[in-house]
Amino acid sequence: MPFAGIDIGSTMTKVVIVDRDETVLSAIIGPTGVEHRHLALKVMQEAIAQSNLTIGQIDFIVATGYGRINVPFADKQVTEITCHARGIRALFPAARIIIDIGGQDSKGIKLDSEGKVANFIMNDKCAAGTGRFLEVIAETLGVPLADMGKISLTAKEYVKISNTCTVFAEHEVTSRLAEGAKIPEIIAGLHQSIAGRVVNMVRHLGIEKEVVVTGGGAKNIGLVKAIEDKVGSPVLVPPEPFLTGALGAALLGRSFIDRGLTPDHERRLESVTFFQ
Amino acid sequence: MSDNQKYYAGVDIGSASIKAVLINAQRIVASAINASGGSYRDTAQSVLDTVLAHANMKAKELSGIVVTGLGAENAPFAARQVSDISCQAMGCHYLFPAARTIIDIGGQFTKVARISPTGTVSDFLMSEKCATGSGRFLQVIARILHIKLEEIGPLSLQSRTPVEFSTNCAVFAESETVSRIAEGARPADILAGVHRAMAAKVAMLVKRIKMEPDVILTGGGGEDAGLVLSISEALGIRVLVPEQPRLSAAFGAACLAQS
Repeated sequence: MPFAGIDIGSTMTKVVIVDRDETVLSAIIGPTGVEHRHLALKVMQEAIAQSNLTIGQIDFIVATGYGRINVPFADKQVTEITCHARGIRALFPAARIIIDIGGQDSKGIKLDSEGKVANFIMNDKCAAGTGRFLEVIAETLGVPLADMGKISLTAKEYVKISNTCTVFAEHEVTSRLAEGAKIPEIIAGLHQSIAGRVVNMVRHLGIEKEVVVTGGGAKNIGLVKAIEDKVGSPVLVPPEPFLTGALGAALLGRSFIDRGLTPDHERRLESVTFFQ
Repeated sequence: MSDNQKYYAGVDIGSASIKAVLINAQRIVASAINASGGSYRDTAQSVLDTVLAHANMKAKELSGIVVTGLGAENAPFAARQVSDISCQAMGCHYLFPAARTIIDIGGQFTKVARISPTGTVSDFLMSEKCATGSGRFLQVIARILHIKLEEIGPLSLQSRTPVEFSTNCAVFAESETVSRIAEGARPADILAGVHRAMAAKVAMLVKRIKMEPDVILTGGGGEDAGLVLSISEALGIRVLVPEQPRLSAAFGAACLAQS
């Protein structure tokens, strides 16, 4: 009995298909993109093909992420907060705080001892403290986003970035470069800035161990270390931080079936339309 | 020399442009604006030279000179330095004697101030934390749309259905703009949407210092008719704009040189 979760984020679309015993049958990550809305469907089709299934053979499909609202092939929509919590609980049963740094928002989620969502907080109003901040500055520096973490680890100290606003920070970074600041130290400074902002937000929930960092931001080792600095203890990172929401969505599908929910058999493998 | 024969200069060294105003008996005799460029010193000198040449004067014939703005310390000539907000207040006071609230929208920052009936600053706030309230937001969006800054105002006034951005963050609005263009939104509607987002942010600042009429809008933002309209709507009051909104701080500096 397979279950699928699709997480349509602002920058990436992720699909995970699991079996009843939580074995992952397939996991695909593809871009969401501005003009690539149909890619959500492609990612889904690819995941189905990889697991040697047809869409009809999947028992339940849960959609999550900001693009979840109008997915023609999903049986149910669930918020990403619930899905992340479920995915993280499967990976790290001792998790109490989840820090999710996405492309366009950042979230803090508090779990109770049973792994249920007790509280959450999020920032989707301001690019500071989100993946977007890193993306913009990476472009300014001419450094590939994927290399930012590694490069920052070579810094012995960091350049303090005093502007919170991404637009102003971009300007500040250009000035520091002109003054001769080293790129690794600038990047390390940016990580400190994002980590400070995110951890301050999460403090409102009361930080408790274990702390898990997930989302695209967790793929940046420099940012993760900066978060550990601010939290004051080591944090856990999933093997594939992009996939925790989709994994949670798939696992929730299994719970829905167990609770007697029947899937919508009129699934249409059609492109996703977005509401904004 | 009687007061009528005395000339005073004000030079405003801003991040985007450098302005100089020459006055005689509180009336503008000559003015000049130049892009700041790479050397504040050189540009400030040439802008001052331009206004002096207009009046056939030499620098040593000036009875007083005040320099202001972000780059005031870079002035290549001896001059008294006064903060830009004090100069702005004095300039607005002379241009609009009933001025009590000033909004200055520059290329980088937006400042709001309450001023007394004598033109001194009684309260002051600056939006340095977020680009949304500043001219940078418009510059970013205008670049995507390939529209010149001076075209923004007239074009935005043609909008009937302004785009509503889901957040007021300039960075998120930038990517949202790209999506909206792909969906077929018109540039006029996008710009009008940016004006509204900016106006909301500016109105928040103005409310914090407790607005009192008359409200004056200065800086490059004052040259954008669409922004002036949006801010007037957001505040529920018609804001007044100097004839040359970018010159009011330099004018105020010259007035302060006299007093």
